[in-house]
Amino acid sequence: MDIDDILREVDPVFHAVPQEKRDLQDLTRAWVAERCAPELLHWPADGLFERVNDNIKRQIEKVEEMTGDMDPKTNFALIVLQTELERFKYIVRSYLRARIAKIDRHTLHYLSTDELRSRLSEMELAYATRHQALLHNHYLSSFLSSFPPQMQNLNDAGGNSTMIDTPDLESAVFIRLLIDTVVEGRGVDADGEMNGKVDDIVILRWSDAKPLVDAGSAELV
Amino acid sequence: MALPLPPGLTHSEVAFLAEMEMVTVVPRQRLESIDLLSGQTPPLRPPHRAQLPLWLALLLKKQRRANIVPPPWLHPASLADIIHRETKGAGFSAPPPPPARANPHEPGRARRFADDDVTLSPPFQPSCTANAPAGYLPYHWLEVAESLLTHAGDDMAAPVGEVRSLLRDLVEVRAAKMRDSISELQGLERGMMLLTGVGSIELAESRGFVLGVVDGVRKIGASTEATRRDKEEMGDERDDEGSDDDMGI
Repeated sequence: MDIDDILREVDPVFHAVPQEKRDLQDLTRAWVAERCAPELLHWPADGLFERVNDNIKRQIEKVEEMTGDMDPKTNFALIVLQTELERFKYIVRSYLRARIAKIDRHTLHYLSTDELRSRLSEMELAYATRHQALLHNHYLSSFLSSFPPQMQNLNDAGGNSTMIDTPDLESAVFIRLLIDTVVEGRGVDADGEMNGKVDDIVILRWSDAKPLVDAGSAELV
Repeated sequence: MALPLPPGLTHSEVAFLAEMEMVTVVPRQRLESIDLLSGQTPPLRPPHRAQLPLWLALLLKKQRRANIVPPPWLHPASLADIIHRETKGAGFSAPPPPPARANPHEPGRARRFADDDVTLSPPFQPSCTANAPAGYLPYHWLEVAESLLTHAGDDMAAPVGEVRSLLRDLVEVRAAKMRDSISELQGLERGMMLLTGVGSIELAESRGFVLGVVDGVRKIGASTEATRRDKEEMGDERDDEGSDDDMGI
């Protein structure tokens, strides 16, 4: 018997978190994480964005229908609906813009390996590829073409230094633990390990925090 | 198009998040349930209390359709108690415990906050409702307190001025702690530092400075760290060789 079964017994109206609330929680978490992480994170895999976008579209249609109806009672409901709609759109927009900023800054880096490419959504991948191609063509026509051919690349990695800028994966982040778990950190003078508890807020390097965040045992704050 | 902001939430983004906290309202008018993107709102029937997100509660309050019940931790007695603990103890006071127990007086409120695949975290935990425990500051304490005092001052349990002066004391005590913790930062001994109990706006305020210090220290010590790691690796290899020898014997 699970704790949920026990709860259901003592509390007849017990129910798990409804889908809408889950989506809002996931969306908010994804947004905050993207705003705080030094590198681009994975595009949510479970169709979260498609679902949220569909819901927003449906809600807009509903608002349009309701606007025709001038009953003062539904009027207030309309204001509430529109306020919430704007809040959702704000999160979605801010999330996408934060991602585009990261893609713009390190385009070649995110296009360099399959693992990194898989973090982008289809649209973002198309955007990044096209943007990079345009940029390269522009450089070629304005100055690169007068360089010797072996120096015309934008992604040379030879000679101990690479031309591809990468985000600083060692920069520090704040995380909140969502479960009791062991946190490992690397410092300048020593490495450490700590038994973290739920709701603990820890400062550590992103490279140490990433496994925890990917596993869902911690979130960025 | 792209967002030109550095990593980390800005103050207005933190305030936006805080507006998603659930609060308890006492409606003054009937209002049917509204089908929102985040789920249906409960139908409002005065004088039955209902839980609504803060942004909606403030909207209702402005139109005088409802009163907001201040969360128990915002009562002067609770605030004074927290200030007392903050001044005595070292770290920040503990965050509210996860509400996981079923309360027989309130059917429907038993809810585990760790579901199979979703864990609710602030602002989606009910830490600002009338049922929240007193004596614990939730993650968005300052933002929620501030907007309640500004927009729903007449619903407070005590005069706004009194609550405000208590809050100011609390902000100062905690800001001093944040400053103290910065002296620990330069070492960041084992690669991490605990800041449990810190509030969202407090993090946003000192994020730039704290992260700047941590990253700066890391860059200064980068070569020391690389040498140490090389040495440790060599040490490991030597150990391995030693054990091989043992096996040989």
